[in-house]
Amino acid sequence: MSRILVVDDEPQILRALEMSLRGAGYDVDTATTGAQALTTAAVQPPDAVILDLVLPDMRGTEVCRELRTWTSVPVIVLSVVGDESEKVAALDAGADDYVTKPFGVDELLARLRAALRRVDGETEPVRDVGELRVDIAGREVTFAGRPVQLTPHEFTFLSLLIRNEGKLLTHKTILEEVWGHAYAAESHYLHVYVSQLRRKLEPDPARPRYILTEPGVGYRLVDPSRRTS
Amino acid sequence: MRPKSLSRVELAAGLLASAGAVVFVTAAIAELKPYVPVLSLGVLYVFAVLPVAVFWGIGLAALVSVASMLAFNWFFLPPTHTFQLSDGANWLALAVYLVTAIVVSALAASARRRAELAELREREAAALAGEVLEAEALRRSDAIKTAVLHAVSHDLRSPLTAIVAAASVLANSELLLADGDRVELISTIRSEADRLDRIVGNLLDMSRLDGGVAAAHPELWPPEELVGRAVEQAGPEAERIVVDIDVDAPPVRVDAVQIERVLVNLLDNALKFSPPGSPVHVRAEERDEELLLHVVDQGPGVAAGEREAVFAPFRRGDGVVVRGAGLGLAIARGFSEANGARVWAEDDPWGGHFVLALPVAERTPVVV
Repeated sequence: MSRILVVDDEPQILRALEMSLRGAGYDVDTATTGAQALTTAAVQPPDAVILDLVLPDMRGTEVCRELRTWTSVPVIVLSVVGDESEKVAALDAGADDYVTKPFGVDELLARLRAALRRVDGETEPVRDVGELRVDIAGREVTFAGRPVQLTPHEFTFLSLLIRNEGKLLTHKTILEEVWGHAYAAESHYLHVYVSQLRRKLEPDPARPRYILTEPGVGYRLVDPSRRTS
Repeated sequence: MRPKSLSRVELAAGLLASAGAVVFVTAAIAELKPYVPVLSLGVLYVFAVLPVAVFWGIGLAALVSVASMLAFNWFFLPPTHTFQLSDGANWLALAVYLVTAIVVSALAASARRRAELAELREREAAALAGEVLEAEALRRSDAIKTAVLHAVSHDLRSPLTAIVAAASVLANSELLLADGDRVELISTIRSEADRLDRIVGNLLDMSRLDGGVAAAHPELWPPEELVGRAVEQAGPEAERIVVDIDVDAPPVRVDAVQIERVLVNLLDNALKFSPPGSPVHVRAEERDEELLLHVVDQGPGVAAGEREAVFAPFRRGDGVVVRGAGLGLAIARGFSEANGARVWAEDDPWGGHFVLALPVAERTPVVV
């Protein structure tokens, strides 16, 4: 059974999260401050952390950075609408994903499952996501059994996405991993590039089901059959 | 107004300055005496008189005139160190000097007074105009604020009422509820809470726009993706939306988050004011340096005189604040402007027709 650490200073939200996570079969620890969260995570290592970005004693982003100095536990941050730069900061500080307040518990549970799954199967050489199959070692991609021709950069990009299935990757991370550090700030071409890739993969490129955009933040690859929200 | 009489401190300062000025000019004349005929140097005392006239007025200036005349006589005119004069012509020179000095100081003092008066009038007029404007603006913005607050509280209260009612029914153990009713009440709470969230989101957007903190982060975006994402956020009625955008439409340079807010609001508006079940069309058109997105519905459209007024917050055509009119189009307008885009209501006899014109990015080779 997985142990989840929930960090939020709003007692009602904390209680609701605790109830729903226990209901979904998780063990739950709670913390109301950043300091308490770090102590609890050290004493009773969790399998995943749900972390509010605004805490009374420190920024959630700092908690995240602190956690990353000694653990790779998945971290999902809770943030408010419109605060894209804070989300990006948290993701760049090592958070795996974010959920925007107010959120439905279904959505949070889906993100949590995806985060826990990523930890389980990180080393498979062939990845299946829905109808998409990527053979990372053999550099082959098929969609619904039919081969897809990709340029080298497109392949690197797609394998980065699929190795992080469900995880939100920031523009900076993608540009650095695929094109190198020199391109870390070139995010404005990225969107046009992604739309080209979608045309090769997605059945309906204007309503993508696999490569999803989080405007102002980044991209994630999801399995459409697993999407709940 | 300049005070008629000088205060004690001013008078003391004036006397000190006057004495200083006379001493200074006297010293200067003593320095120059070997090079220039001394009688012609007497006129230098005007430089002592003038500043005193400007700053302290004619009274002190006259005093300085007399003092400097006496000083000139005492130090420089033979026999020196007496107030007597050996040459009768010197009397004339001193008299001419004295008259000149007094006339000059009178002129200087009155010029100064006039300038001050003009400045004062101008300040008073400006202050008065400012007060009037401020009062008027305050009265008007107060009226709008009150009306907007009424509209907002109404808009907030209706979903809250639904939530409180549904929750209290569920909490009442004496009521016998069918399972179906229970599910319906719970979904009411959920959907009304979503509505509440949308209203709060709109208010937040509006305050950001008003506060000027809605800085756009423009990037290149394929228009079909912007529209696609907006359609996904349009809620349960989204299936009425028919999108017709060529995949080869040029990318636009905008802030995707903000332009999505514009599109969502235009789509909401079209869905709200058109007959149930009728389609809402979105099509793209490239014109000059812009990509025009047309949102067309089969509703009654906007009357000619109201096409600008609909973009004011909480107001419909006639400018009257209306409950439920909402902030949608005002937000659409605000975020458009922040992105160098334009939005307007088009003259269209067939129905509602709004156009969003987005700046097209210059064609650049895309990294592969």
